[in-house]
Amino acid sequence: MTLPPPAPADADAGHRVLLPIAGPARTLAALRAMVLRHPLLTAGSAVTLLLAAALSLVTAPLLGRVVDLAATGAAAGRITGPVLLLAGSAIGQGALAFAGLQLISRLGELVLAAIRDEFVEHALHLPLERIEQGGAGDLTSRITEDVAMISQAVRGAFPEFVQSALIITLTLVGLTALDWRFGAAALLAVPVQAVTARWYVRRSAPLYADRRVAAGAEQQQLLDTIGGAQTVRAFGLRDEHLGHVADRVDRSIDLLYRVVRLQTRFFGRLNLAEVVGLTAVLATGFLLVDAGTASIGAASAAALYFANLFGPINTVLFLLDTLQSAHASLARLVGVTDLPAEQRPQHSTVPADGAVKASGLRYAYLPGHPVLHDIDLDIPAGSTVALVGASGGGKTTLAKLLAGVHEPAGGSIHVGGVPLAELDAETLRRAVVLVSQEVHVFAGPLAEDLRLAAAGATDEDLDRALRTVGARDWVAALPDGPQTVVGAGGHELTVVQAQQLALARVLLADPLVAILDEATADAGSSGARVLEAATTRVLRGRTGIVVAHRLTQASAADLVFVIDDGRIVESGPHADLVAAGGGYARLWAAWSAGRADHA
Amino acid sequence: MNVDGGTLLRRSMLAHRGRIVASAALYTGHQAGEALVPVLIGVVIDRAVRTGDPAALGLWLAVLAATFVMLSLSWRFGTRVGTVGGARADRSLRLAVTATALDRRESTLLPGALVSIATGDARRTAMVNFQAPHGVAAVFGVAVASTALLVMSVPLGLLILLGTPPMLYVVKLLSAPLERRSADQQEQAAQAAGVAADLVQGIRVIKGIGAEHAAAARYRSISRASLIATLHTARAEAGYNGSVIVVNGLFLAVVALVGGRLAAAGDITVGQLVSAVGLAQFLLGPLGTFGEIIAAIAGGRASAARIAGVTGDRASSPTADPPAVLGRLRLRGTGGPGVRGVDLDVAAGELIGVVAEPVAAGTLLRILGRESDPTHGTVTVDDIDAEDLAPPAWRSVVLASPHDADLFDGSVEANIRAGRPGDITAAVAAAQVEQVAAVLPDGLATAVTGRGRSLSGGQRQRVALARALHADPAVLVLHDPTTAVDAVTEAAIAAGLRAARTGRTTVVLTTSPALLAAADRVVFLAGGVVAAEGSHADLLRTRPAYRELVLS
Repeated sequence: MTLPPPAPADADAGHRVLLPIAGPARTLAALRAMVLRHPLLTAGSAVTLLLAAALSLVTAPLLGRVVDLAATGAAAGRITGPVLLLAGSAIGQGALAFAGLQLISRLGELVLAAIRDEFVEHALHLPLERIEQGGAGDLTSRITEDVAMISQAVRGAFPEFVQSALIITLTLVGLTALDWRFGAAALLAVPVQAVTARWYVRRSAPLYADRRVAAGAEQQQLLDTIGGAQTVRAFGLRDEHLGHVADRVDRSIDLLYRVVRLQTRFFGRLNLAEVVGLTAVLATGFLLVDAGTASIGAASAAALYFANLFGPINTVLFLLDTLQSAHASLARLVGVTDLPAEQRPQHSTVPADGAVKASGLRYAYLPGHPVLHDIDLDIPAGSTVALVGASGGGKTTLAKLLAGVHEPAGGSIHVGGVPLAELDAETLRRAVVLVSQEVHVFAGPLAEDLRLAAAGATDEDLDRALRTVGARDWVAALPDGPQTVVGAGGHELTVVQAQQLALARVLLADPLVAILDEATADAGSSGARVLEAATTRVLRGRTGIVVAHRLTQASAADLVFVIDDGRIVESGPHADLVAAGGGYARLWAAWSAGRADHA
Repeated sequence: MNVDGGTLLRRSMLAHRGRIVASAALYTGHQAGEALVPVLIGVVIDRAVRTGDPAALGLWLAVLAATFVMLSLSWRFGTRVGTVGGARADRSLRLAVTATALDRRESTLLPGALVSIATGDARRTAMVNFQAPHGVAAVFGVAVASTALLVMSVPLGLLILLGTPPMLYVVKLLSAPLERRSADQQEQAAQAAGVAADLVQGIRVIKGIGAEHAAAARYRSISRASLIATLHTARAEAGYNGSVIVVNGLFLAVVALVGGRLAAAGDITVGQLVSAVGLAQFLLGPLGTFGEIIAAIAGGRASAARIAGVTGDRASSPTADPPAVLGRLRLRGTGGPGVRGVDLDVAAGELIGVVAEPVAAGTLLRILGRESDPTHGTVTVDDIDAEDLAPPAWRSVVLASPHDADLFDGSVEANIRAGRPGDITAAVAAAQVEQVAAVLPDGLATAVTGRGRSLSGGQRQRVALARALHADPAVLVLHDPTTAVDAVTEAAIAAGLRAARTGRTTVVLTTSPALLAAADRVVFLAGGVVAAEGSHADLLRTRPAYRELVLS
């Protein structure tokens, strides 16, 4: 369950720097390196599959032998010999295929898992700034769509491709062994196939990509329309929305027709290659038998050889585009794993307390468009401060800088006397934790979600944290209590419940400084009150920096910073600011207007 | 009108019967051609290769080429016609499910489940239109091959015809445990990909609490378990493929043995032996198709039943012209979840605030928006009973906008204009959308995506409010329209709302003091009934329960 947070208004679409994509050479090199991590498996699968394919070649000559024996009117008993060999070779082929396919699937799965593992590990350690430049959707689509594409290729296409390719190669060898002229005749089909394959792959890859996009758009439109059904009804938009859905469906269908036209023309051309090759092989058989250089059995064997090639050839050519798409997907994954990871010092001093001091902080999402100008803050350890101001003013950006998630363009931040930039990863997170506007419940048991914040937390720790944020009762009421599977595909939590979990994670992480930038918009007013009460309990005993949406939060804070247009325009205790009669006082007057008894 | 899955499937097929029949006829041509190829190879060997007759070679190669042209073109156009028949059926099912989802209130299914019915189940049902012609053609293919075999030799023909089904049955038995296993294991294998995607989606949360290592460790353990499950599946799959090779090969050996003996004895020709071997391989195709088609029809029927479950009790939505009303709203003993019985009169043009517990507020919003009917009591507007008006006609008079109202893809401006065309300036000003436009990259032309999730909560609420104000209904019902905006903006919205709704009836379900202070009158619900009425200031003074609910 993820509600993407609002993109910072000034760093929005149109200026996206998508994550990089590796070049073809680099992609292949990365793949080769991963395959070569398993040299024995690679060699073993290559050898067994080669043997299986080689053994399959004896079928046609053995049938040819049966034909020859029958043609010469040999005793019926003599046929048993080649037939027993046929049966034996079938068993041998099956056994070798079993071994070879298993080995090659194993290799494929190991490489696939390595690709995925490396990507996830790397993505988790990328600087958040770099991810946000490309839009988090770019990273998500790589881990979902691209990994799915590669899995499909590794599981479905690759073993079949290798098997078929081996059979084709070896059949050509077998034909040539019967008589080199059979091999030459079969090769007549190759130009037609080569041209067809080129023609097909050039057209299919963009068409399939369009189809995936269209399917995604259709799915999205259905979710929008059906998910927003109440709004659609309220505003009488039924017919308009049905029209939108119909348009998306029509787009998908149009692309389906184009795919089918392409595929049917593709197989039509391959039929041409089949007829050319088969005619050539039969004619060659005719000439060779006529000239007495080949037996009828050999001619029959050659025809059977070639007819058995139809399937594998079609398979290989048809799978070319799956492999091509998988290669493109792999390039997108390798592009990310080649990015430099977040740099943090290895060791650092531990901050003495939760005092936060910032001076001269500056930040810009885009060069030349600063969103924060020379921010100075001095927050005593253990106090709670509120950041107040209109949306788009820079509160969220400041929260990210103070949490060390973004790196300031200028100025410095100290926590407990130690520069934030000099803290190692572990110390940093024990010092400062940020709850961002994003609401995400991790798929899996609820307890596992909480343990992300503190791996060693006991059940009692979890229970205490849940009680503190006011979540214990509803968690206990879940079907399996804290072991209930929540998040995507599991028990769905409300926005308020999800935010209570986020607060519980802070308690478990137990940092010196907690920075809270929660979105209460979706919580409704009663939900917001529940969360405010939980927040107060979570901040007890630590420094709290709260991006305040409701002024009750600000009035309860020790210090208030009013931020407007990237600058701190007012700061001080609530009462002082109200007395000063500035912008905050006006804000407070508006907030409390309806609250006074004599409004 | 209750329709079961079978009926729905039949109707979906009958609607496209012309294409199904045409496609079946074309596929039949293809199957017949495929069956003829091995026969012709045998004929070439008998008539040309053995005799050395070049004229016969030319003739039979020409026949072979003609067969290829026929089978290739039949397949091409059969596939195209069949695809259209399937796609058209798919389209109408998708739209029917969507229309039902839009027409029917109080769906018990979640949007995700409905979308999956509109896509997956519609596709599986429509797929039957595409698959059925294959089944017809497979019957013909088997018939052609059988005839050819029996003409050549009755014993060999019977061997192949009677031997193939048990062989396919053995293969099916071999694959059954694989299918059973792979369902669980695919799920486990998919888990690694799912967890990976989930962690990446929550990356900001992970970074915020510094859980990079914990997340990576969690992922690794799941990835390992997935890998083990996948390797088991891969092993089972390899075993299955290997067994199929063995079974096919042994069957071929038996055919060669019997055919070879018959040929050696002179009962059949050498060419016929070659044809028989080829036909034995060919028959695996169409006979295997039967199993797939039976599975496709069973799947299609189950999917059709799910679709029928959604669309079957589809309420016909009578279209009635919306009445012209002044906007006098009256509730008498109206009740529902959390609401015991509310009596309420709102004069035309009045702006009232209603303070209620969250459940009661939600119920009132749904009743006033005709999303659900009251369990008892009545709702009227200008003395017209809600029950006498179809929901769409009612909604064109009474607009109830929920606090989490969805926005749709399109520009901010297009969203505001959704309810009514025309100049949106006044609504934009009243709902303080100018501030929103000022910080968006393209102002009012900025694209909204992901049901409005590309905007912040406060921005989204203001755009949704502007849309409701611009729709300018006779009666407007709003629910918590300002929970995500700052205090100054909220005060401005309260003033803007008053001005924009002058002379029009407005009901605001809220606990926001700023909005309540702007109302002509506030109605306070407690325990599901009207507990007090008066101005916001009066209620604050006289009603501690009201005070607590509004000011906490």
